[in-house]
This record gives sequence, C-alpha cells and structure tokens, in this order.
Amino acid sequence: MFDFTYHRPATLANASTQLANAEHKPLAGGMSLIPSLKFRLNRHAALVDLGAIAELRGIRREGDTLVVGATTPHAEVAGSTLVRQALPALSVLAEGIGDPLVRNRGTIGGSIAHADPAADYPSAVLGLNATVVTQQRSIAAEDFFKGVFETALQPGEIITAVRFPCGPLTQRAGYAKYRQPASRFALVGVFVVQTAAGVRVAVTGAAPSVFRFTAAEAALNKRFDPSALEGVTLDANGLNSDIHASAVYRAHAVVEMAKRAVAAALGQGGSN
Amino acid sequence: MNAPAEHHRNPRNERIGQPVRRKEDLRLITGKGRFSDDVNWPNQAYAVFLRSPHAHARIGAIDTRAALAIPGVLAVLTCKELLADGLKPVPHVPDAANPHEPNLVSPPGFKEMIAPHHVLAVDNVRYVGEAVAIVIANSVNLAKDGAEAVEVDYEVLPSVSATPAAAQPGAPKLWDSPDSNISIDAEVGDKAATEAAFARAKHIAKFETQVNRVTGVPMEPRAAVAQYDTATRRYTLHAGSGGAVRLKQDLAKILDVPANDVRVLMDDIGGNFGTRGMIYPEFGAVTWAARRVGRPVKWTCERSEAFLSDYQARDLFCTAELALDAEGNFLAMRGSNLSNVGSVPSNYGQLKKGVEIMTSLYRVPCAHFRARGVVSNTMLTRPYRSSGRPEVMYIMERLIDIAAFDFGFDRQALRRRNLLQSHELPYTNAFGMVYDSGDYHDAMEKAFALGNWAGFPARRAEAKARGKLRGIGTANYVDTATGVPRERAEITVHDDGRVDVVLGIVSNGQGHETSFAQLINEWFDVPIEKVRLIVGDTDIVQVGGGTHSGRGLRLGSIVMFNASNQIIEKGKRIAARLMECDPSVVRFFRGRFSAQGTDQTRTLTEVAAAAQRLPDLPEDLRGPLTAFSDETIHIPSFPYGCHVVEVEIDPALGTLEIVKYTAIDDVGLAVNPMIVHGQVHGAIAQGVGQALWENVHYDAASGQLLSGSFMDYAMPRADQLPSFTAEFTEIPCTTHPLGIRPGGEGGTTPALGVMINAVVDALSEFGVKHVEMPATPERIWRAIREAKNSPKRPATA
Amino acid sequence: MPTVSMTVNGKAVSGTVEGRTLLVQFLREHLGLTGTHVGCDTSQCGCCTIHLNGKGVKSCAVLALSCEGANIVTIEGLATADKLHPMQEAFREHHGLQCGFCTPGMIMSAVEMVRAKGHDLDEKTIRKQLEGNICRCTGYHNIVRAVQAGAAAMKGA
Repeated sequence: MFDFTYHRPATLANASTQLANAEHKPLAGGMSLIPSLKFRLNRHAALVDLGAIAELRGIRREGDTLVVGATTPHAEVAGSTLVRQALPALSVLAEGIGDPLVRNRGTIGGSIAHADPAADYPSAVLGLNATVVTQQRSIAAEDFFKGVFETALQPGEIITAVRFPCGPLTQRAGYAKYRQPASRFALVGVFVVQTAAGVRVAVTGAAPSVFRFTAAEAALNKRFDPSALEGVTLDANGLNSDIHASAVYRAHAVVEMAKRAVAAALGQGGSN
Repeated sequence: MNAPAEHHRNPRNERIGQPVRRKEDLRLITGKGRFSDDVNWPNQAYAVFLRSPHAHARIGAIDTRAALAIPGVLAVLTCKELLADGLKPVPHVPDAANPHEPNLVSPPGFKEMIAPHHVLAVDNVRYVGEAVAIVIANSVNLAKDGAEAVEVDYEVLPSVSATPAAAQPGAPKLWDSPDSNISIDAEVGDKAATEAAFARAKHIAKFETQVNRVTGVPMEPRAAVAQYDTATRRYTLHAGSGGAVRLKQDLAKILDVPANDVRVLMDDIGGNFGTRGMIYPEFGAVTWAARRVGRPVKWTCERSEAFLSDYQARDLFCTAELALDAEGNFLAMRGSNLSNVGSVPSNYGQLKKGVEIMTSLYRVPCAHFRARGVVSNTMLTRPYRSSGRPEVMYIMERLIDIAAFDFGFDRQALRRRNLLQSHELPYTNAFGMVYDSGDYHDAMEKAFALGNWAGFPARRAEAKARGKLRGIGTANYVDTATGVPRERAEITVHDDGRVDVVLGIVSNGQGHETSFAQLINEWFDVPIEKVRLIVGDTDIVQVGGGTHSGRGLRLGSIVMFNASNQIIEKGKRIAARLMECDPSVVRFFRGRFSAQGTDQTRTLTEVAAAAQRLPDLPEDLRGPLTAFSDETIHIPSFPYGCHVVEVEIDPALGTLEIVKYTAIDDVGLAVNPMIVHGQVHGAIAQGVGQALWENVHYDAASGQLLSGSFMDYAMPRADQLPSFTAEFTEIPCTTHPLGIRPGGEGGTTPALGVMINAVVDALSEFGVKHVEMPATPERIWRAIREAKNSPKRPATA
Repeated sequence: MPTVSMTVNGKAVSGTVEGRTLLVQFLREHLGLTGTHVGCDTSQCGCCTIHLNGKGVKSCAVLALSCEGANIVTIEGLATADKLHPMQEAFREHHGLQCGFCTPGMIMSAVEMVRAKGHDLDEKTIRKQLEGNICRCTGYHNIVRAVQAGAAAMKGA
C-alpha cells in the first residue's frame, strides 16, 4: 500500500473541504477500498474517513421514503426494524452482503460509490428507483451507475444518503442472489419490485454494470408471478464471462434468479 | 524390526485409543501460538520478490539502478548475483526409488529431462510469478517500491500451460530438450498379458478425463526469517515446513555449504498438506540475502503471491479402459497417465504413486499403463494430500460406474464381485504392490449400511417431488503410503519424570504433541503433560524425513517404539542394581520395574535418577537414561476404506447440495480417535473441494493465472459442506509393529470419485455419463442441457 | 507521523503509525499481539477477526487511525487470567482446531455470532454465519460443534 495522509473530519463541511483536492479519496467502511489499496493499483495523497460524521449515519423514514445514511453499515440495515417494515427485501439483501464481519463495517454509500459490477446494493438502488443524495445534489438511480467501477459522482462529491421509495409506491419487492463460489459476490443478483408504476427488475453481477431487465419487466407487468418468466430470455451478448460462469450461463441464471426474486416478493420463500 | 516387547503385549491398550484432548490447543486458542510470521529478529530487513508477469520470456537486461537509488532499499539481487555467488538450484529428486514400488523408467534412448530450479530465474522465466529478483529494504513497503522500480527487459516467448497441449508435438518448448516437453515416459505392468485379456473381453469401459489442478492452501502463508553469523559462518533460517532436517539439507545444497553450516528452526506450522512440505526457492533466496546484506532478512508471502508461488498439484490427463467379461469380472485395465509437472520436473510422486495402484482394491489380473510427465509454463506441481491416489481412485471408480452405465450392470454388484476378499490378502496387484491386510468388503458394506443405500430410491422419489435430482455414489479406495524412509527417535527419561522425544517429524496441525505423547503415556505411564516433543531445531534434531505421505505417526511410532524398548532394557539392568537382583527377573509394566518373586518395585523416574546418580554403572547405562532408534523403512502402508455420498441437484441452475457424506476408513489402530476423525473430516473437505469448486486456472492463451486470490480460487466454506458421518475400522496393519495405518490422507483419496459418481447418478435420468471436475453448477447444467438435446437411452437403475 | 490511541484488551495503548498502517499491523507489529493472524489480502479468510467496539470485524481491512479511541478485543483478551472463555474451551473440547492458524479468527467470529444471533444456534445458522472464516484443516465439522457448544455455554458464563 502506498502511504497517504489520513483525515477524519467530524462534519460534512470539513469533509467536503478536504475532498475538494482531487488526489484525496473518501473512505467509508473500507471493505473494498482498503483491499484494493493493498494491491497498489491506486495512489491517493489522502484518505478522508467519513466514519466520524454523525449526520451520514442512520436510518429514518420520511413518509413514503426510507432514508439510509451513506455510512450506515450493512448489518444495521439488515437488522433495522424500520427497514424490515418498509422494505423487507432491502433487509434481505443487506443480510446477504459479504459475510457477517464485512457487514459490520461495510456501508451502503461505500458500496454504491465503488460500483463493483458484482455488488448487491446497486440492484436495490436501481430496482427501487432510489435517489442517491450527495452534499451537492440528488442523482436518480438511472443516472448514477455508469459502468465498471464508474458512477456519476464528480470528484469531491460525497454521498450522504440513499432515498428509497417505500410504502404504497413499492407494493412488493424481492431479491435473489446467486453467489460466486469464491468471492461470495453476486455471480448474478436480481432485485424485483412491483410498483404502482409497473414492475422493475434490476440485475447485478451479470454485466459490467447494473441494468434493468426490460423483457422480464414486460412479462411481469402482465402477471406478477414466477411462471410469467417462462420463455423470457436475456441476450448473453455483452454479459460478463469469466472463470466462474460463461455469459450464456449467466443469462440463464438471471432469468432463474428473477423467478426466485418474484417468488420472494410474493412471500413464496424465495432463495437467497 | 524388533518383535514386540513384553510391555506392549497387553492386547488392551489403555491410553492408546483414547480421544485425549490436545495438549497444543491451549496456546493455539489463546493466541499464543508461534507461527512463522510471528518471529522477528533484531535489526531485520524485509524482502519482496519481483515476479515475472509473463508465462514464458527471455530475460534481457535488468536495470536495478532506480531501485537501489531509493533510500532504504538495501539490495536488489538477480540471477547475475546468484551466478556470481555460485548458488545451486533447488535440489529436487524427481523419482526416489523404493524397492517396494515399480520404478518409472523411460525406454532406452529417451533422455529423462533434468532442469534446474534456480531460486531466481536464470536466462528465462517459465511461468507467471517466477521470481526474477529479490529486493531487500528497511520495510516491506520500501521493498515493494524497490521492486516496482526494477526494470526488466523481457523478450516474450510462446507459452503452453494446458496439459494435453503441452505434450503435443510442436508445442512451445520450455527447455533444450530434443523433441518435446515430455520429461519422463515410462510403462508399468504387463503389456502383452493386458492386450491378450482385452482381446477376449466381452465389454470395455472407456474413460478420458483431465483431473483439475489444485493447490494445498495452508491457511498460514509461508514466511521466513534468516540470518548469517559472520563469526561462526553459519546460516540460520526460521520457516515452517514439513520437516526441519530436510529443509536444512536442501538449503545447504542451494547455498553450497556443508549441512552443518545451516540451522533451521520452526515452531507452529499453519497447515502443510504436502504443498508446504518441502524447500521453496524463496527460503534459499532469503537466507542468501541475509548474508549479502549483513542483517537478518524477513519475508512474508502474501496470499495472492502464494497462489502464484506455492506448489500446485494433481493436473493429470488420463485415458483408461477396463475390460470385463460377460458376468462383470474385471479382466484387465490399461491406459495412459500424463502428469503436468509445471516448469521443472521436481517430483514424480503424483505420477508414480497413482499409477502403481490404478487397479485399486479390485481383482484385476493384469494391467498396463503408460506414465508420462510433461513440463509446461505453470508453477511446479508436487505432492498434495494423498499425492496421486485421489486421481487414480477417481478414474477407477468412474470406470466402474461407466461400465455399469454402458453395459447394464448394477454398481454395487460390480464392486461386490470384484473387490478383493480378505482371504486373498496379502495380494500383489498388477503393478507389483503388495496389499497387506484388511477387510475391504466389511468396510464397503458398512458404508452402504451407514449411508442407507437401500433406502435411497424412496429419498430420490421424495426429492423428485420437490423438483430436485438426487444421486448417490460410492467409491472404494486404497492409499499407498511410503515417503522418506529414514526416521530417528531419541528418547530421554529425566530424573524428574519428564520425557523428551527428539524426532525429525513436525506437526502441521495433526496433534503430534498429543498422539505421540499418548504412546509414551501407554508404554511408560508418564503423564502426557510431561512428554516433550523436540522437532523444530536442526541443532538438536539430526535425522528425520518430515511430515508427509502418512509417515509421521507410522514411522515415528516405530522408532519411538524401538527406542522405548531399549530404555526399558537399560532400565531393567539399572533396576536390578537397585533391587539387588538379576536383570533377568526384572519385569516392566506401566512405568514400574519389579523383581519377580519379591515385592520390590522401582519407578521409571527412580531408575532414571539412579542412572544419573550411581557412579559405578557400566558405561552404556550411565545417565541420563536415553536411547535412540534410527530406522530406514521402505515398506509401504495401505490404508483403505469406502465412502458413500448423496447429493441433491437443482436442475434449474445445476447447483448442488451435499445431503449426506458417509466415510468408513481403516486406520489399523487409531492412537487418538478424536484426532483421526478430525483428519478424516478435513481430508474429505479437500477432496470435495477439488471435485466441486477448486481449480487453479491458467488462461490457455496467455498462461496468466486467473485464480490468483480467494476472490477466484473457491475454497470450501462451512455453508457448502455437511456434517460427516465418519467411522473407522481397525484391522491391524500386518507390516507395522503396532498395527498402525496412516489416517491423514484417506478422507481425500476416494472423495473425488465418490462425488462425481453421485453427481452423475443424480443426472442419470437424462443419460448423462460424466461430468468433469470441478463439477460446477454450469457444467452440471450444461450436461443436463446437452443430454436433453441429444437423448440417449436412460441408464439402468 | 500521527499517533493513535485506543484500548486493547482493557489496556490503554498508543503508538506512532503511518496513514496506511492497518489495525492488524498495529496489533501484531506495534503491540506484539501476534494471535491475530493474516491469512489473505482480500478480506476473505477471517484469520484477522477481532472485536471493534463490541462487534466482529476483519482487522486487515481497517486502518489503525480509524480506531482512535476505540475499544478493541483480540484473542489474547478473551480469557481471564485463570479461566478460558467458554468459546475457547469449546474449541478445545470439540477438537475445533488442527493447525490453529484460523482459530483465533474463528473463535472471535463465533463470539460475534453469539452477540448477533444468540446462544441457541442451529447448524445451518452456524455454517451460514461462518461465511467469512475459512479453515483448511477441519472440514468445519468440529468447528460447528464447538461453536454450538460454546454459544450454549456462554449463556451461563
């Protein structure tokens, strides 16, 4: 690891100031950043640890919106009664990230800022049509994820919270994850949401970035049931292919995991 | 070997056979273990290796100036310094001859390949991750800065990593060999008889497979710290391995100094499994560097570096055939094994120890196999838990199931018909290996019963109702344990009741401090707490072959047994002096000498004290009370058993759950059944890991390692494995004075075959005949899909 | 270089570190607490598991400076002077370790599991919750039994 100066600001304002320098990098839970630094692939003059900024942490409900602070650890989301009531599928997803020790430390803001193509949270953010809030603006989920480890965040921009629509807006949701056997990241993860405006199916792990599976959405809009996905296919072109699974298998697994996510949304004991 | 002495004649061992809780645990569960990286020496510098990014390249100029200009970088050593200092290659012995095993001899005119394994690459790099330079600095980070500043001119050469491909004519050649990358080309068995038997066979089952490459992955990464004393001109290395003495001898050869100019130390060792058992080039480089920089040098391998540089294993390409008559009697077996040895032929153990038992525990009158090794642009392969045997047991057990599938035999019946009966033992197999003793049918039937094979159809039907495919499989196995034949034990009884045992065998987690002490406890009645094993310092331990090939307790117990007998014989003479009787009337039992016909007794401790105290004892009895035994034992041991496994497959994705795993293993005599069960569990997990998940994956085109960390090398985890139903039988080994067979490898040996047999059985309704390892969900899913697309006749049940 | 202060196993400690110094390096190299091990570089293996402010974390992925003022417990701090922690005792009793390298992390993770999931743990839960700890020796069979027994024993402790 290359050395860096370490800052631990107590306020968002101070963090913003420190991150104005393009060579400074925000540090949240560090579960992805620190391992990547060990491989000396990146070099930063300073890390700005967001862990002491109280306003970035915590979960609250504002009407039909669930607001999850950026530095809220996965274990806190998984264990939150508020989340379980408002968006049980989000709680299930958080309970399946990494492992229990990672979940005590890793954060939602860190996860989506890192934008690992196999991370779980991006599927919930896109599937639930959430809004990513920074100290500067609000970014719609559709506009947030840009590619492999690439987001709409500008240098110096800090995620402060993620706002998930809940209540009557999201009638039902389910998440199904197929673990890559070594890393335990999502080989394929599918988040399915039925909303008043229609069904949204967001897929992680299968492609360079999270995406919406529109053919599945169309089928599920007709009938929100796993069987509606019989015969629906996903083009393997452009999907990830690696030593763990070919694109063809991933394409197949996306459909299968989508069925399981729908089953989970329907309370049919979907697989996670 | 000596006949059992009277104190061993007690047929009911009281302390041997008890599940004694382990002595070593207290320090390990409280964080007080002393592993390699826990050792630091004053003023130590730190080493980092610069490794090749190419699978095959010619090394041109190496510019170290920028690295050396970094403050805190002390030295950058390359092949230039290595050659100038006259360092020798790692002293591999590819094929150690054993009179009890067939020799792998290439035909006249074939020159077996010998290639140097230098501690730093000389001229060419031949696999990704081969060390090109060692950088020494005041910190690890500075050494990394230095390594990144070294500039190496590489002329990239064509490479080949995959197994059959490396053996093809025209494949890129690694060495200046006359024709190809084939390093050894031997034949074993009786070709003429085998061909004749095949000619009259009714059925011939055929199988071709590539056994995947895996690696041992001890949880403790390697680490080493070395220093050089200019006054005594001695090198000292602290590094965990399979044995201190071999490490010392090999290190001395690399450094080209007398063996006694090297001292090797080791304490707790976080796993071995074979791949950690031998010398590594880095140990030589670090020790050499310590002399060059005049300071202790420490190196700690990182996990991703370990995936590049730890020895790897298996990687066998095999074509095999089994000939049967109309009733299903096995007539003969033939085929060809091709072992990918990596960039340098370093050990044909995998090849030899596999091919010599290809026929397993079955009555196969004749057999013939070709056994070849091939070099490739990959890390070296060497023995890994049950070296060579899991591969061939898998091949034999697959052949039997394929024969059943193709010709309509029942899988169990075929095994019952051909498995050797007890009365046929000792049995010489088709390659000349002599199986000593056992009850193979008993083990198999116990496994069938414990695995409830009879009730399987109902369970399959129940699973089917849930949309799952259930399969059951079985595999018998035999393991042949040899290893370095020489071992030595020196036992000293102190006058305060303590007993020291000096051995050349270290524990890598097998609990020697407990099980070896149980032997002393049984023989001498000395509490386990008072027995100390001294194994990790070559200034004390002079002889010993280390821990591998199921040789630890097997050979350790023999030399300890012999030395303990001598102690007792000496003790009798001393006790006779103390009790004023003739030595011939002195008896020893449970730690006490008694004079027959009197009520006089003396404890072993009293006798040991007398040996120290009495001034006029004959010279050979004068204290301390000590004895040694140094034996060279070539005779192999044959643990065996039978495993049964049941799986459930989700046909939608090909994902698999191991529902039940049943193991029957014969260990001859279990000194500590708790430890033996633990060995079996861990060994099963490693075999299952290879069958289902683990894979060292080199990209075929580039030779790049794609399974370079725990993110991509799929280790078995707790949530993928079931609890095991494991029992053992104890038919005493007739070639061992205590009846002991090794217990550390048996779990792995049948695990590959039994897993794949169960997977294929689960898919039998689709007519699937085979799934290659690792049997990943995608492979299973594809097998189902392809079978559905090309319907074959369904298998017989 | 900056200094960091924290409480480790009940004792106030401080040291001068670099920004990049990991908590596990601080524990091992600065404090000599070598019971916490490093088994990988991708935060998969769990050999480095410790308790940070009462919760189990992987100390190879935490900066030492992030732990300013924190309360840390390592494997060395689990037992009292004369008594093993029930989870340690259970690992010994049930042969939940062989080489012992993953063991400190396993035990710390098991204690964390009890905090998160309670004392009454079934096999499935234990296996699932051990997802972040890799053992190469035991096949997990006896670890599962040790955790189950240790969790139950902690109820009375």
